[in-house]
Amino acid sequence: MKTPPGIQRETIENCKAGDEKAFEEVVLHYQKKVFNITYRMLGNLEEAKDLAQEVFISVFESIKDLKEEAKFDAWLKKITLNHCRNRWKYLKRRKYFNSDSLDDPVETEDGAMTKVISDPSDNPETLYEKKVIQQLVQRGLLNLKEDQRELIVLRDLQGFSYEEMGELLGLPEGTIKSKLHRARMDLKGILERSAH
Amino acid sequence: MDCEEARDRFSSLWEKELIPSEENKVREHLSSCPGCQEEWGRFEKTMQWLHSAGEVEIPNGFLPELYKKMGERKSKATPTEKAKGGWVSLPQSLKLPVQAVAMVAIVFLVLYLTKMMPIERGRLRESKPISSPLFAEKKSEQVFAQKEVEKERRAVEFHPNTRRSEDVEQAKTPVPGKKKLEEAYGPQMKAEAPSSKTEVGTNPPIDSRAVARLKVPSPEPKEIEKGLTAKDKLVAASKPPREIVLRISNQERMISLVHELVREFGGEIVTSEGNMVLASLPTNSFSEFENELAGLSASIGTDKEDVKGSLRGEPSEKREEADVKSQGSPRTATDQEKHTVVRILLIQE
Repeated sequence: MKTPPGIQRETIENCKAGDEKAFEEVVLHYQKKVFNITYRMLGNLEEAKDLAQEVFISVFESIKDLKEEAKFDAWLKKITLNHCRNRWKYLKRRKYFNSDSLDDPVETEDGAMTKVISDPSDNPETLYEKKVIQQLVQRGLLNLKEDQRELIVLRDLQGFSYEEMGELLGLPEGTIKSKLHRARMDLKGILERSAH
Repeated sequence: MDCEEARDRFSSLWEKELIPSEENKVREHLSSCPGCQEEWGRFEKTMQWLHSAGEVEIPNGFLPELYKKMGERKSKATPTEKAKGGWVSLPQSLKLPVQAVAMVAIVFLVLYLTKMMPIERGRLRESKPISSPLFAEKKSEQVFAQKEVEKERRAVEFHPNTRRSEDVEQAKTPVPGKKKLEEAYGPQMKAEAPSSKTEVGTNPPIDSRAVARLKVPSPEPKEIEKGLTAKDKLVAASKPPREIVLRISNQERMISLVHELVREFGGEIVTSEGNMVLASLPTNSFSEFENELAGLSASIGTDKEDVKGSLRGEPSEKREEADVKSQGSPRTATDQEKHTVVRILLIQE
């Protein structure tokens, strides 16, 4: 989740000063990334949308405490991850993931909500196959341990560098790599079991 | 390279992070081990699926909903912030010093309360006996006098027939007593004690004495007062008369003899009614007068009773002195010192 090129340091400064237009600019630049992390971490579109909005509210409320504008990107990732962890715990306490309410993006009627960016050249069969794969991957992710899911989402779905992950998670690169490998192997096992 | 070592490097092989020599070793193992080759195939597929997942589009109306939520939060938070005086909205950089100062203030307050207060109390205790012995004495006198008056009042209330109505009136309220005092002391006391309330605080000896006088049982206070001159009244009021009882056979003769004797000793008859003679005698010749009076009686059935003198004479004299000093009248003081009032009762045998 690298800072999009359009975002300027000045925008962050204006946002800190309480400029709502600058805040809107920040939201528009980061909303998709934030929403995708929350969605992959929670697996539910409504929860993910609500959580992403909460993330931006937190940003608006606490951006004045941000000391270095240059670190806004890392700061936003941290807020997003903390919100995801808290919401996950909250939903788990309420046994949300044990119920049938787990949102399935493939089966949702509203295509706009769950539309996956796909190759326009894909034929309907390929598109369907991709949706099935999406469903399998998302369910596989939800069956992983929380920290394993975080690693896979950040590295394999969001394309974070090991350096970024180390900074965000507060772990050495080697530890992240070994943990990530274990998470991938576990996901492979989950997908194998669900496919058969 | 064994299977475990090869499988541990799947992630690194996928990300092409292995050095060429190590990558070759892994690939060599995979080509020679069908189990690891199959595992590697599944791993590759999982990674492909993950990377093919792509990004999900942002739901419509994300931003308007966000603004709506923020508006709701703001409207909810505003009254709370107002109630808290905007403390929550203050930046941390301001809050922390204020909190630190408050903490220090609390610590100092606690230290003051625990350490300083006992010293203050000690000082107060020390200063009390120095500054207020007179006040304490006055207070105790007041309390004692009040108790005495209260006792009398109760006694009167419980045994109304045992006391004369005048005494009852005297005892019921301190005001008549005060009136009598005023009569006895004249305008001087009025000037000194303008009100009963201030009297308690400012001039309690007068008040206590008045109460003490009220307490002394006097057989004929009305008669005594009638015959007293202003001077004698003062003496009588401040000093209870001594009492001498003479048992005689001839009352009239004895009365005239007593009169003569009083005059002889430089005294004067205050009143003489029936079998009672009230006389004022110089104090220095009083003992001689007493002896002479005893010798006069033919029957010599003299039965002297120095009731009040012996019982209350000394403390009352002391009080008199104090009172005289407080009144600041030298003439009255000398009169009190020089004269003794005696009541002589003649009992016919």
